[in-house]
Amino acid sequence: MQRILVTDRAPGAAETCADLLRDFDSLVRLYRPRIFRFMMASLRDRESAENLTQDCFVRAYQARHQFRGAASLTTWLMQIAANLIRDHENSRRLKFWRRHLGAVPDFAGLSDWIPDGQSSPEAAAAAREQVEAVWSAVRRLSERQRTVFLLRFVEEMDLQEIAAVTGMKEGTVKSHLFRALQAVRAKLEDRK
Amino acid sequence: MNRHLTSRAITSFLASFGATNDDRHLRECAACQAELASFQSSLALFRDSIRHWSEFEEHRNAMVSTTENHLDCFIVSASLDEPWYRDFAANLREAVSPASLPPLEVTSRPIPVREIWGLYGRQKKSWLLSLAFQTLVVAVLFATASNPTVRQAARPAFDFYVPLAMTAPKPKTQGGGGGGGRSVLPPSKGRLPKPALKQFTPPAAVTNNLNPKLTVDPSIVAPPDMALPQIALNNDGDSLAKLGTFSNGPGSGGGVGSGKDGGVGPGFGPGAGPGSGGGFNDALYRLGAGVSAPVLLYKVEPDYSEEARKARHQGTVVLNAVIDATGHVANPQVVRSLGLGLDEKALEAVTKWRFKPASKDGKPVAVTAEILVTFHLL
Repeated sequence: MQRILVTDRAPGAAETCADLLRDFDSLVRLYRPRIFRFMMASLRDRESAENLTQDCFVRAYQARHQFRGAASLTTWLMQIAANLIRDHENSRRLKFWRRHLGAVPDFAGLSDWIPDGQSSPEAAAAAREQVEAVWSAVRRLSERQRTVFLLRFVEEMDLQEIAAVTGMKEGTVKSHLFRALQAVRAKLEDRK
Repeated sequence: MNRHLTSRAITSFLASFGATNDDRHLRECAACQAELASFQSSLALFRDSIRHWSEFEEHRNAMVSTTENHLDCFIVSASLDEPWYRDFAANLREAVSPASLPPLEVTSRPIPVREIWGLYGRQKKSWLLSLAFQTLVVAVLFATASNPTVRQAARPAFDFYVPLAMTAPKPKTQGGGGGGGRSVLPPSKGRLPKPALKQFTPPAAVTNNLNPKLTVDPSIVAPPDMALPQIALNNDGDSLAKLGTFSNGPGSGGGVGSGKDGGVGPGFGPGAGPGSGGGFNDALYRLGAGVSAPVLLYKVEPDYSEEARKARHQGTVVLNAVIDATGHVANPQVVRSLGLGLDEKALEAVTKWRFKPASKDGKPVAVTAEILVTFHLL
């Protein structure tokens, strides 16, 4: 948890960003968990997620001189990550046999990762159901809606950041988010 | 404002980062707050699960970058960076000829375990009881099955129909008869007596009664208009026999030949020839005189021949044919020809016709009949 909290360091201070870009090691160490998490949530495949996380930092490294500090480092890296995910989704259709190669990850197993703290077995079971419902709804979302949803509720970004990362207007982000939420909520109500 | 927020409104509130007109209601209404909180808690659970999961996955293979190897992480492993065709080829190779596995090393050893048959193991008493019971069952079955009453009751009763196609073919000889005078000599050749529907006197080659009180012409039973072989002899006798001393033959019951019952020949009955029951030889009944006419059941229209069509030739072909006891047409012959291929067409068609056979005394018999096939152009 500590690591995640560190990545939420207040962005923007130009000299901090410049320092970090010069010391790319620490930048990677700082942001890698977050990028990896976003990749995992989007792709649900550990191998691809690791691969794309590496790609993301390679691209960032190659383009580090073009970073002007106009946005935060988080936003910048997330933007690269979102672009990579989109490219990956597009090319995945051509590599349909790939999924037979590696071990097929168990998508439905997310409910095993609910943090402890439920008082009773009933509450734990309820929490498990809720998480499975949200997860199955997210799996069925379109790529844009899912990205927006994950950025908002997993990465806890605000509207301007999401708009910057996805390159959409704020209104568009809102409507995508609304649709995604509607789908998730419908799924949750179904479970009840 | 006592109306609660709709599901949509709550979603909208979350999606718009809390900047809607429903703020005030949310602040006041406990029910809506609870609704919102429950939704948010679900999402929070989801967020925490994702974070937990990704953290675990990240550390699972100790992929966390340390200062020593973090640059290695940038190098994409060779297996992931292969072009797709190599990948595909490797898969194909593996499917066609999989690499052989190293020989299996057996590290386990069998150990004795308990008997698996139930709690009590095998027991002699149970075995004997089972044997006795099964023997009893078999014995009871045998006893009941061999009881005559039971067997009578259980005898399957069903009607047995012989299919029409399976009936044995009738002997070709239909009519016939035979007789004789218990002579040691074979029957002698002679003319056949005239056919009649009723026989009063059997024919005889040797007349035993020289002074009969009432003379009646001998006859054989056959259709009166039947054509009998004409033998240029003055005495009665068997038309198929050899010339020789006059004799009635070794048969019995009057008549001539080796048969029985007042006819001529080796058959049985008052007719002539090897058959039985009257008539001549294998001669066929003709219509009339107690023989019902065959009835046409199935008819094939004859084709017109090409030449006859061109010549606009019309008319009637008269055929003579045998309609046998199964209703088939056999041996059709042209009596009156039309020519131009129409005769052949008529013959071809008629052989496919089917009749209900003629019957005498309720039994199907073969008859000769004339069949007229008319050809006319429309």
